[in-house]
Amino acid sequence: MENVATHEDWKVCLSEAGPGLVLFARQWVQSLADAEDIVQEAFVRFWRRNHNITNRALLYATVRSIALDRIRGDSRRARREAVVVAESEHSVEPEFHVEDDSQRVLVGALDRLPKDQREVLVMKIWNELTFAEIAAALGISQNTAASRYRYALASLRKILPPQ
Amino acid sequence: MNDFSDLEAQLKTIRPAPLRESFIARVESEIAKPETTVEEPRNVIRPAQFRTRWVIGLGLAAAAAVLLFVRVNFQAPRDSAGTAAASPAPIAKPAPLPEKVLPNSFLPAGSTRVVYHKRDEGLLFAQNREEPMRRLRSMTQETLQWKNPATGASLSVSYPSEQVELVPISAQ
Repeated sequence: MENVATHEDWKVCLSEAGPGLVLFARQWVQSLADAEDIVQEAFVRFWRRNHNITNRALLYATVRSIALDRIRGDSRRARREAVVVAESEHSVEPEFHVEDDSQRVLVGALDRLPKDQREVLVMKIWNELTFAEIAAALGISQNTAASRYRYALASLRKILPPQ
Repeated sequence: MNDFSDLEAQLKTIRPAPLRESFIARVESEIAKPETTVEEPRNVIRPAQFRTRWVIGLGLAAAAAVLLFVRVNFQAPRDSAGTAAASPAPIAKPAPLPEKVLPNSFLPAGSTRVVYHKRDEGLLFAQNREEPMRRLRSMTQETLQWKNPATGASLSVSYPSEQVELVPISAQ
């Protein structure tokens, strides 16, 4: 059967979901190029099969899986990245478009969150996934997803200096 | 009431870094390429196949146990016949009191299945399927035991098995 998706459809979908997906992928890899590779692989595979991104939970599950496979598949690379992480607290390429100091402080606080909390926060805030979608993507219950989100916000509040 | 609404609003003001033009160009060229179908690896066992193979394995183990058991039973009468031939004329003995007779055969005594390693091997994009599947590999040690209540002899067959399950991912 002929592919009914037009040339521009994928561009629209990528421009909408892409920044959030790259941000999501960067939780597992430090370099922007690696995160882009992961998102590219996931997006292209996903698009070829579905020609839409309505099932966002599945798209995020695909990105996560490819990222984890990549880490598992190349342990030497993972070790190198672990060294890089240990050596530098912040990655070289910015993950966010920061406009002022308060946002910079907030981004710094985000980096100090536990991975499982940050993951849910990124999916909820910058990708606008529902708890049901987050739960489906991560293979956890909706209650767990909601709890991690609340814990993440509570942790952020503790980390951030009082205003 | 949500106590974190102010913090959520603050977080939403930060925007993720925009996509690089070079990245979009890479995706475009990748999408433009003809799709190459990935053959499913031959060492992946589908659940239905695994069930069949598991039954075959169990059947073979049971057959081996039966063969051993039959061998034991064949040997027992031969020994008793030899003893009878070498013995002098039987001496009349009083009939023994009826006792609880234990069966002189191997009876199933138990079976265990220990999963000692389970690994999530990530997603698999199989041919002709819209949704990816998660590949779970588990390694188990299965042990079947038989016991002969009459002689106290026991027999156990233990064998490792490896199972690869393909679980379809369903989201919403």
